[in-house]
Amino acid sequence: MGNDPKNFKQVNHSVTKVDARQLALGKDSYVADFAPANALVVKMLWSPHPHARIVSLDVSEAEKMPGVKAVLWHGNVPRIAHCTAGQGFPEPSPYDTFMFDTKVRFVGDRVAAVAAESAEQAEAAVAAIKVEYELLKPVLSIDEAMAPDAPIIHDEPEAHVPIPIPYDPKTNLVARVACEAGDFEKGMKEADFAFDDTYETPYAQACPIEPYTSLAQLDSSGRIVITTSTQVPFHCRRIVARTLDVPVQKVRVIKPRIGGGFGCKQEVLLEDVVAMFALRTGRPVLWQFTREETFRTGRTRHPMRVRIRAGVKKDGTITALGMDCWNNTGAYGGHGLTVVSCSGSKVLPLYRCENIHFDGKVLYTNLPVGGAYRGFGATQAFFAMESTIEQMAEAIGMDPMEFRQKNHIKSGEGSPIFAALGEGKEGVPMTVGSNALAECIVKGAEEVGWKNRTDWRSKSGRYRRGIGMACLMQGSSIPHIDMGGAWIKINDDASFNLMFGATDIGTGADTVLAQIAAEELATTVDKIIVYASDTDLTPFDVGAYASSTTYLSGEAVRKAAAEAKRQLLASGAEMLNLPVETLHCEDSAVQNADGSKKVSYADIAAYTLYQKNQYQIFGTASHITEKSPPPFAAHFAEIEVDTWTGFIRVLNYISTIDCGTAINPALCEGQTEGGTLNGISYALTEEYIFRNGRMTNPSFADYHIYSMRDRPPIKAILVPSYEETGPFGAKSVSEICINGPAPVFANAIYNATGARIREFPFTPERVLNAIKAVKREA
Amino acid sequence: MKLCEFIRPTSLSEARDKLRELGPQGMALAGGTALHFLQDQTTRRAVDITRLGLSFIRKEGDFYVVGATTPLADIQRYRAPDWTLHEVCRRIATHQVRNISTIGGNICRVFPWADLPVVLLALDARMVVFSDKEEEIVSDEFFDGQPTQRFADGSLLTAVKVPLLRAHQGFGVVKVSRNSAAFSLVTMAVSLELDGEVIKTVRVAAGGAVPFPRRLPTVEAALVGREAKSEVFREAATKADSDVSWRGRESLSPDYVRQLAEVSLHDALERAVSFARARNA
Amino acid sequence: MNQYPMTVSFTLNGEKRTFATAPGENLLDLLRRSGLRGTKFGCGQGTCGACTVLLDGRAVNACLLFVGQVEGREVCTIESVGSFDKSSEIQQELIDGSAVQCGYCIPGIVMSATALMKAETKYDDEIVREYMDGNICRCTGYEKIWGALRRVLDRREASLAKVEGSGSKS
Repeated sequence: MGNDPKNFKQVNHSVTKVDARQLALGKDSYVADFAPANALVVKMLWSPHPHARIVSLDVSEAEKMPGVKAVLWHGNVPRIAHCTAGQGFPEPSPYDTFMFDTKVRFVGDRVAAVAAESAEQAEAAVAAIKVEYELLKPVLSIDEAMAPDAPIIHDEPEAHVPIPIPYDPKTNLVARVACEAGDFEKGMKEADFAFDDTYETPYAQACPIEPYTSLAQLDSSGRIVITTSTQVPFHCRRIVARTLDVPVQKVRVIKPRIGGGFGCKQEVLLEDVVAMFALRTGRPVLWQFTREETFRTGRTRHPMRVRIRAGVKKDGTITALGMDCWNNTGAYGGHGLTVVSCSGSKVLPLYRCENIHFDGKVLYTNLPVGGAYRGFGATQAFFAMESTIEQMAEAIGMDPMEFRQKNHIKSGEGSPIFAALGEGKEGVPMTVGSNALAECIVKGAEEVGWKNRTDWRSKSGRYRRGIGMACLMQGSSIPHIDMGGAWIKINDDASFNLMFGATDIGTGADTVLAQIAAEELATTVDKIIVYASDTDLTPFDVGAYASSTTYLSGEAVRKAAAEAKRQLLASGAEMLNLPVETLHCEDSAVQNADGSKKVSYADIAAYTLYQKNQYQIFGTASHITEKSPPPFAAHFAEIEVDTWTGFIRVLNYISTIDCGTAINPALCEGQTEGGTLNGISYALTEEYIFRNGRMTNPSFADYHIYSMRDRPPIKAILVPSYEETGPFGAKSVSEICINGPAPVFANAIYNATGARIREFPFTPERVLNAIKAVKREA
Repeated sequence: MKLCEFIRPTSLSEARDKLRELGPQGMALAGGTALHFLQDQTTRRAVDITRLGLSFIRKEGDFYVVGATTPLADIQRYRAPDWTLHEVCRRIATHQVRNISTIGGNICRVFPWADLPVVLLALDARMVVFSDKEEEIVSDEFFDGQPTQRFADGSLLTAVKVPLLRAHQGFGVVKVSRNSAAFSLVTMAVSLELDGEVIKTVRVAAGGAVPFPRRLPTVEAALVGREAKSEVFREAATKADSDVSWRGRESLSPDYVRQLAEVSLHDALERAVSFARARNA
Repeated sequence: MNQYPMTVSFTLNGEKRTFATAPGENLLDLLRRSGLRGTKFGCGQGTCGACTVLLDGRAVNACLLFVGQVEGREVCTIESVGSFDKSSEIQQELIDGSAVQCGYCIPGIVMSATALMKAETKYDDEIVREYMDGNICRCTGYEKIWGALRRVLDRREASLAKVEGSGSKS
C-alpha cells in the first residue's frame, strides 16, 4: 500500500481548504485586520523622478505637524547595503539598496516616511517635506543601459554581490550567466533551416487583491513583532535585522492569511520601515500600500528581450538552440540573475538538442523594479521558444503538434542545461522522472479540436479563427538550496499540531501539507491543526517560491509525520504488548495485520501524555531536494481575430498539466485556472504605459485585468503521473500555467491571419499592423 | 478633493439655494463615483441631491423622462418598447458603480470617455435644468462645451428627456474598450430614420478617445439620402476625420484609434439599421 | 480638533446605529474602524469589489461612498451573511467548491451574489456576469467561483419556478 494512488485516503482527494470558511465569513485573517486601534499610519514620500540625487531634504516642518510621531529619511537611519529580494542566503543578488538613500533611481523610490496618528495627518506631513533634487539623465531602456556613455545608476561604493558572480554596476550590469553545450555554431551549420528572431516581453504586476501590508509592534519584552503580507517570513526576519542593524533574535515575523502574492511578496518592501518606526515610537505601526503604490513601487515581472537562434533539419531534428536574454531588472537588482537563469534552465531542456547556447545579461534601468512573479523567467523565454518551435515546424512542413511530440524531452532523459544552469551557482545534473507531457498534448489537442485546424491561407472574411498551442515545463524547488522544516505533535484527543515554515499565500498550501501529514499518519485532515510561518514558533522554511511548497515542504512534513508515526507505533506496541514489526497505522489507530488487536491514537495520546513512560509524541524533519522535477503542460486555445480592428476574442482555452500526484485535485485545478487567466490578460491587456519613466496607468481602471465578465472559458485538465522523489508522487503545479497564453495566442494569431507577432501584449494595434503587413507581403 | 461639510437638503429649491449660497465651495453630489478622478485638492461642501425625488423613469408624451439621479443600474434594468438607454448603461463601469452612479452625474461633468453624452447626442435628448424655473436644453446645446459651467450658479439638472423613436427610426451604439469595465476607447452612437432602403435622417455622435463627445456632421451629410449598406457606411466613416481629431489612448496611437473609430461607426450604423428594420418588420 | 465632527445614523446589519464621522470619511474606513473588518480594502477606487456591501439591498463599493450618503439607509456587510454555525448557501458552495483561494475577494463576491439572488428571479449567464463584473479575483480564474454560483442560482431558479408553477395551478 502506501504509494499506490488508488489507496490514498487523504491525498489525491479534494478535501475542503482548511481556511476556506473563515475567509468566506470575512473573519479577521489578513494583516490589516490585526492592526490595533492605536496603530500609527505610515505614508511615504516617493520619488517623482526616475533618476536624481537628493541635494537637500528638510523634514523639520513635517516633524512638527499635528499627529506626526516620527519621520524617517537618509539622515536618521542606518546606511546598510542590503537586498530586498527574499532569497536563499547569501543571495545571488546585489546588495544595492538602503533603507533611505541620497539618490533616487526610479519613480516610486523611497525619499522619506512619516508615521502619524491618521492617514490624513501623515499625508499632510509628507506634503510638507522639502526636497531639492539634482536631476540626472535617466536610463529608460536596456539599450540605453548598455550604451557606452550610459549614466551609472548604482555609483555608491557599497554596492556588491555577496557571492562570486559577475557584477559591474559601472556598466549597469547586474549579472551575467552563460553556458554552452555541444557545438552551437556547428549545429547551426548543420541545419536545413535557420532562425534568428528577437522577442520582447513586457512589464506586469502580480496584482494581489490585498496590497502590500505590514504591521510592526514591540512586545512587552521589547522585541519587534512584524505581522506582514509576505511570502518569505524567514528571509524577511533576516533582511529586517540586517537593515535595522539589530540581531535576528530581536525580530519575530508572523505571516497571517495572505491576500495573494504570486511572487511580488517575495520581497521586503515595507517591513524595515514599520519596524524602524515601531522602535522609534514604541507604537504599533501599520503601512498598507495603495493600489497606485503597489503598481509603482511593488515588484513587477522583468521585461525581457530574448533572441533565439536555432536550426532544424528537414527530418525534424533540432540541430541548434541558442538563447540570448537581456533582462531589465529596473532600479534594483533583486532576482535579476535568478530570473534570467530560469529563462534558460526551465525552457531549453524541453526539446532535445545537442548544441545549446545560452547567454543571459541583467541590466539596471531607471524603471520599476523587477522581482519574482509566477513563471519567473520561464514566462518570458517560453514566448520566444514556443514561437520558434512553431516556425520550425512550418519550415519543414510538419504539423507543429507532431513536431513537438517528436522532440520534447521524455522520461529518463536529461539535458546538459540542468547541470550547467543553477541559481547563482551551477545547477544539479538531473534526468527527468515523471513525465506525462505526451498525454497532455493528446488530451489538449482532442479538447480543442486540433484535427480541424486549417492553414491561415484558407481563411478570409473580417472575423478569422485560429488555433494555437504551446508546451511548457517548470521546476519544483531549487535543489541543494531550498530547505523546509516541519514538526508535528499529538494532543489528548489525537488531534495533531502541524507546524511548518512554509508559507500559504492563498494557494492552499496549508491544506495540502495537512493532507500529506494526515496520509502519512493514517488519520484525517480534520484532525490536523495547522500553524505556519511564524519565525518564533515554527521551523524554518525558505518560503513560497520556486514552485517548492508541495514538493519540498511537503516532503519535510511527510518525514516529520513519519517520525511521529514511528513513535505512535512504538507506544502502541508497548500498550498492546506486541512486536512493533507486526503493527501498522490505520484509521487513527495502531493495529495488527488483521485488525484484531488495536489501540486508538487517542488512547496512545492518553497513555504517553498521562499514564506511563510519559513523553510528547513529536516528529520533526527538514528536507532539501536533490532534483527539481519539472511539471509539464500543454496549452491550447481557439481565438477569433477581428481583422478590421485587431481585437482578439478567446473562444476556448485548454490548460493541461502533469503535476505528478495532485495532492488536492480541486486546488490544483484552481491553481491552473487562475494562473492561466493571469497569463491570458498578461498576453492581451495588461500593460505598463510609461511617460518619461513614469507609469501612467497605476489603477485597475487603466491596467486591465479580467473580471468574471471578461473571462473566457478555461478548461483545466490534470494528467496524472507519479514523481518518485516527491511526497506521494507530487511535484509542483502553481507557476507553469502562466507561461502558456502568450505563445499560444501568438501561434493562434498566426494560424488565423498569417501574422507573426514577436512582442506582446497583443494590443489591437499591434495585431492590426501585423495583419496589414501580411497583406502587403502577399 | 476634500469634503468639509455634508449637507442633505430635502427639496429642490433648498438644494438650489444652498448651492447658490455656497458658490464655488459648494458641490452637488449624486453618486459621487467620479470624484476620485478629480485631482484637485480643494476643500468643498457637498450638497447631497439624491433625496429630492429625482430618481425615476417614466413615459410622458413623446418622451421617456429619466430623473437626474436615477442610477445607471435602474436604466439598465428598465424595459419598455423601443427603450434604448439600457444598452449603453450595461457597458459602463461595474455593477457596483452602476448602482450608485447616476445619469446626471455622467453628463453634468463630462469626462472625455463618457458614453452617455454620445448616446444622448445621437438620440437628440433634452436636458431639464432647474434654476428659478425649469428649462429644457437640447443636447447639441447642452454638450456644446463642459456642462459644469451651466451649473455654477446653483442650477440643477432634474431630468433627461429622450424622444420616443419614430416609426422607421433605429438606434445603434458601439462601445469599444479593452475589457468590460474599462473606459471607452471609442463610443459611437447613431440614430437614423429609413425611407425604404434610403437613410432619410441621421444623427451620429462620437466619444472615447476624443477631446469631448460630439456630433459628426460631415459623416451625417455623407449618409443622408444614401442607401443603407455596408459600403456606404465605410465610406461615410472615413469622413469622421474632418469632424473630430482622435487622440491616442493607453498605448494606442491616434492613427489606430481613427481606424478603430471608423470600424465602430460602421458597426453602429449596421446596428441602427437592423434596429429600424426589426421594428418595422 | 475633533476628528469626527458629524453624526450619521443608518441601519447596519439590521441594527439602527449612529456613528461619529467626518464629512470626507468613506464607508469602508468607518466599517473597519468600527470592528467590521470582513469588508476589505483593495483599491480605494471602486475598481476591485473587495469592499462590496449592500446598500438598501444593492451591491455597492464601500470605498466610494461617503458615510453621509448612507444616512437613513440600510447597510449590510459580510458579517450579517453567515456564521461558523450557519454559512449562507453561497458561502457553503464557495467553500465546498474549492472556490476560495487567497479569499481576499470572497466577502465581496458573496455580497454581490447575495444582491443578485435578492434582485432577480432568472439567472441566465449574461445577468450573472453583469452582476459579478465588479469583483476582481486574481487567484482562481473564476472557474470555481462561477461553478459555485451557478449551482446555487440553478437550484434557486428551479425552486422559484416550482413555487410559481404550483401557484398557477391552484
